[in-house]
Amino acid sequence: MSTSAILQTRNLSLSFGGLKAVDEVDFQVKAGETVGLIGPNGSGKTTFFNLISGIYKPDRGEILFNKENIKDCRAFEITRKGLARTFQNNRLFWQLSVLDNVIIGMHKKQKARLFDVLFRYRRVLDELKRCARDSLDILGYFSRELRDNHHRFVVDLPQGDRRRVEICRALASDPKLLLLDEPSAGMSPDETEKLMDDIGKVRQKYKDLSIIIIEHDMGVIEKIAQRVIVFNYGRKLTEGTFAEISSNPAVLEAYLGEEEQDA
Amino acid sequence: MKRLQDIFSLLTLETVFFAVVLIFLEAEGVVPILSIILGAVLISMVVTRLESVNIYLQRIFQENKRLAVSWGILFVVGLPFILHDNPYAIHMMFLAGLYTALAIGLDFQVGAANLVNFATAADYGIGAYAAAMLAVYFGWSFWVVLPLGGLAAALFGFLLGLPTMKTKTYYLSLVTIAVGLIIYLLLNNFSWTGGPNGIAGIPFPGIGSFSFGDSLTIFGVELPFQANFYYLILGVVAIEFVVAKRLYNSKIGLAWNAIRDDEIAAECQGINVTGCKIMAFYTNAFFDGLAGAIYAFNVGFISPENFAFMLSVIVITMVLVGGMGNTVGVIFGALILTLIPEKFQVVQSYRLWLFALIILVMLMARPKGLFPQKIRQYA
Repeated sequence: MSTSAILQTRNLSLSFGGLKAVDEVDFQVKAGETVGLIGPNGSGKTTFFNLISGIYKPDRGEILFNKENIKDCRAFEITRKGLARTFQNNRLFWQLSVLDNVIIGMHKKQKARLFDVLFRYRRVLDELKRCARDSLDILGYFSRELRDNHHRFVVDLPQGDRRRVEICRALASDPKLLLLDEPSAGMSPDETEKLMDDIGKVRQKYKDLSIIIIEHDMGVIEKIAQRVIVFNYGRKLTEGTFAEISSNPAVLEAYLGEEEQDA
Repeated sequence: MKRLQDIFSLLTLETVFFAVVLIFLEAEGVVPILSIILGAVLISMVVTRLESVNIYLQRIFQENKRLAVSWGILFVVGLPFILHDNPYAIHMMFLAGLYTALAIGLDFQVGAANLVNFATAADYGIGAYAAAMLAVYFGWSFWVVLPLGGLAAALFGFLLGLPTMKTKTYYLSLVTIAVGLIIYLLLNNFSWTGGPNGIAGIPFPGIGSFSFGDSLTIFGVELPFQANFYYLILGVVAIEFVVAKRLYNSKIGLAWNAIRDDEIAAECQGINVTGCKIMAFYTNAFFDGLAGAIYAFNVGFISPENFAFMLSVIVITMVLVGGMGNTVGVIFGALILTLIPEKFQVVQSYRLWLFALIILVMLMARPKGLFPQKIRQYA
């Protein structure tokens, strides 16, 4: 079982003061799998992402990424090992163009160092041009329009396209595991529809990529996730297929509150 | 035919611009100087308002970039020949060059990575003192101590970067202000740096038997000795300009911009945020150190007063006015803010007021500076 796990956590815990934000979570994602992560607001989903991606350090527990303990690694080191993520409130590089944003996603693939920049600039330039071409390909794979508007500032894009750029930027690093933090947040139903197509396209092209997706839109989860994990009060409540968890009374209770006895 | 017309108007415009600069450098008295400044401000305001003129200017410049740049280089190199009987004007241009070197370097931090570093004067002073002391105490040649001054400043920049990484935004600026003041006080109190008397008797640099203190005769024109230093700083600025262009158009410049826009997101792209920030500190400090060494050998005498806090404020103003992240803009910022106060001896005592006013006006009217950062092209 654990041999094919790309990510595994054991007893992962983090408290903010007296609040147990993530509490003894055992979690596993296999290579090529898409896992949905759901739970009420404040149940620790985003904190869990921040732990895996190295933004927070856990109090206790282990995080195995590709069988390697990354508990003490810094965020940029974890990214270099093959993890990429998007953020709940898009965090793009607002004063840069669409293309630059995606090229920055390739930072770890570019070998240039200060010495090369100063004394062997031709190489640096060739590498940069190659990255620009690859970035355009990634953008073009999702949207022709975005590709044609690659020179625009990301701040001028509509919400749907911003999210797309963020996903392209994450894919640019050739990750093994992609964390999507509520990608449909702030989107219209139309845009959510397109987003699901995009995630479908990601699935099609990057077959070995594992995805963990946090979502409140159950339609998205139902369509995309092979397995769903439910968080409540920082703990893992249950896991299973969408059908299983949607008929689980404990899950309904977590979302809707306890049912009255005589109802 | 149309191409020829474009080239003609481009060269005419550039020549007119250079002529105005020359007239400005030669002008004396408040009225002519003030009228040139106001005229320039008025014209640039009109031009920025007129969309079509703007587009036209950009197009003819882009299409004939090589020619436009060559013409500019010719002017900059030929400047001492035109001004050969006005050593003071050449010296002013030398000072402008020094400030340009400081401003381009500071832009690595302030413009590219949003590290508002107020320790420019400290970098500059350490470069100057290191070079001067090695030359005066050990008699080392200028050409050896020049890079050593740069390296000493770079080492200082690196060391300053380490503790500063614990802080962000305003707090980072506060740390750099504090360290700048500490360096100033140390220079004043150490006996081996000469204390408040500083270091005197720094010899002129030389090449073979030629000393930089001698006048230079080329093509029958006798250039005053100030021209030697002008060409020296011009060389440094040219190298720094190329380095800045290369850094900005590489993964390092992209990483700096990413850090400026969103540090956490940058870290999540695999960027070593701490490493990149420290790199901005020491690359900047290196060029500050070179400028400091050249300054020391130009004036022959340095004291802590030359490296006080005001200098850092002036250089930051230059970056803000010129345009953060745009090297050409920063050069203009440095030129404008050196030459205007220098020509306007009347305002010298109100210099601080003038800079405060300029910062306020710029932040309200053009927060991104005269020349904002351009979008990178990878064609």
